[in-house]
Amino acid sequence: MSDKMEKNAKRSIWAILILLGIGLVIGLCISYVAAVVVEKTAGEKFCTLCHTMQPMADAYNADVHGGKNSFGVKASCVDCHLPHDSLAAYLIEKARTGLHDVRVQTFSDVSKIDWQAKRKRAKEFVFDSGCMSCHANLRDATMSNPKGFIAHKEYFEKRTDKKCVECHENVGHHILGDYIKK
Amino acid sequence: MLKRLLVLFALFATFAFAANVGDVTSVKTIKVNRGLTKLGKSCVECHAKLTPGHVNDWRESRHGHVGVSCIDCHVVQKDNPMAAQNCKGVQGTDVYVSILVSPKTCGRCHVNEVKEFHQSGHARAALQVAAKPSMQALMHKFEGRDDPHLKNAPEATGCMQCHGTVIKLDKNKRPTAETWPNYGIGNVYPDGSVGNCKSCHSAHRFTITEARKPAACASCHLGPDHPDIEIYNNSMHGHIFNAEGNTWKYDSAPDAWEPGDYRAPTCATCHMSGIGDLKSTHNVSKRLKWNLWAPISKLRDGGYETAVTEFEKTGKATAGNPLAGNPKGSAAGRAEMEQVCKSCHVPTHTKNFFKMGDQHVELYNKYAKEAKGIIDELTKKGLMKKDKWADEAFKTWYHLWHHEGRRMRQGALMAGPDYAHWHGVFELQQDIRVLRDIYKYRTENNKIEQP
Repeated sequence: MSDKMEKNAKRSIWAILILLGIGLVIGLCISYVAAVVVEKTAGEKFCTLCHTMQPMADAYNADVHGGKNSFGVKASCVDCHLPHDSLAAYLIEKARTGLHDVRVQTFSDVSKIDWQAKRKRAKEFVFDSGCMSCHANLRDATMSNPKGFIAHKEYFEKRTDKKCVECHENVGHHILGDYIKK
Repeated sequence: MLKRLLVLFALFATFAFAANVGDVTSVKTIKVNRGLTKLGKSCVECHAKLTPGHVNDWRESRHGHVGVSCIDCHVVQKDNPMAAQNCKGVQGTDVYVSILVSPKTCGRCHVNEVKEFHQSGHARAALQVAAKPSMQALMHKFEGRDDPHLKNAPEATGCMQCHGTVIKLDKNKRPTAETWPNYGIGNVYPDGSVGNCKSCHSAHRFTITEARKPAACASCHLGPDHPDIEIYNNSMHGHIFNAEGNTWKYDSAPDAWEPGDYRAPTCATCHMSGIGDLKSTHNVSKRLKWNLWAPISKLRDGGYETAVTEFEKTGKATAGNPLAGNPKGSAAGRAEMEQVCKSCHVPTHTKNFFKMGDQHVELYNKYAKEAKGIIDELTKKGLMKKDKWADEAFKTWYHLWHHEGRRMRQGALMAGPDYAHWHGVFELQQDIRVLRDIYKYRTENNKIEQP
């Protein structure tokens, strides 16, 4: 190998390393920003930027899931309203619902939305994987907790196709029906 | 002295009597100290005085054993259409209760039972009455004479006690007298839920023993139009049950109730119970081959009942799916029923029995098709009375299919010979003669009334 070729090879290795470094930094920055964006758009504060969601937020704040519990723990909107079985599914559904909400908010008459009718199909936008990511212990319940055990036995043995919200109709939003009417 | 002693004795006896029966509430006091929430306990303790019968049922029940208490079933969210605070114990709190408990509540724990029930013909019982103008007219106009105050009585005291009703609430969220109380199996609740578990399991105790005895079905499946309990009693199965059924075991776990616990089947055994490899079901239509109640008997190849799914989707009452049965078809339904028979009978016995039963149904169809042809023809020619309940031809046809024809078919397929024959086909061969004569007279003279 000639000297020149050796120099060139060294230079290109450096170039690749520098490029990789820059890439890493940019990637980290983007990931950081993305993570912050995903985080900042997860809760009730962001969701109520549009006035339409106010009743849901109010009902949520009055609910155990909205912090009205002895520990003050809160589940954020996306904990229930996005799937939690994979990161990809989570991000795709986030993008899909986000775009849908923007489109409806901008281009249609939101006052004409029949929220009571929407509640009847809650199982389409409340995800069991979300519920289970917090209530994982329920799966291992025994007769020491008879109510939890008996009521959910069929569910965990997959002998029913019912989703969580089909039995727990008001979960997450305390007396939502009243807030929608107001 | 004797007088004094007698007076003293009388006084003492009076005190003793008063002390024992004077305060009935004291013997009804229940203190519960296990597993229940504070509110749950207070409901039980207060209602032990107010409605001791309810609490007595509850403490004898499986629910009582596993700590499911009053409030667990009667609590509703404030925005539930049935939510009320008529009970003093919850007034001023943020707890709302409902006197009505819909299958939606039962389904939280008994999810498959409610689902299977919705797939069965039982589920359309009230919806189909609401959907059919002819039934509304029979109850309110013809029987209730369109009387503004009294026209609801026939429905409330009769039809809906078995069929159920679309329950309405007054302004205090209490159910109206026109629509409640009833033990009807197809109730439609203000929260949109359909069905009535207490029709067979009776409220507050919900015992499996009770539901497995023929009496659970007999309060509705009796009488001129579907004398199923009479047919059962007429059969050898019923004979054995009536002779020794009080010695059998009725409380085995679901799917584990097998011959040995009983020596002859009850209604539940054949139509619902898990026997051998057969899974238990709350879909009472699933093991049936034929529709035995309609004017013409057809095979049950319609899949699941649709009335509830349709009602949930559109909010409308429909007549449902009279051919609801086994989702795999009528042959599969029959095969499941034969699987039940197998646990006690040899295949030849079963095959021979169903062969002749099926033939009796086909024979019925021959009568029914001829009779319906006569009625259709007379209607087309304008030779039927406007008030059909005053028309001999219509009345004869109605009794042919709705009363005698059902006895003929159900008697045959449930081994009740008196009903298959004397209350059944014998009456039909008389009816068809009456109809033929009426047809002959009306078409030859071109008028309805006979001299």
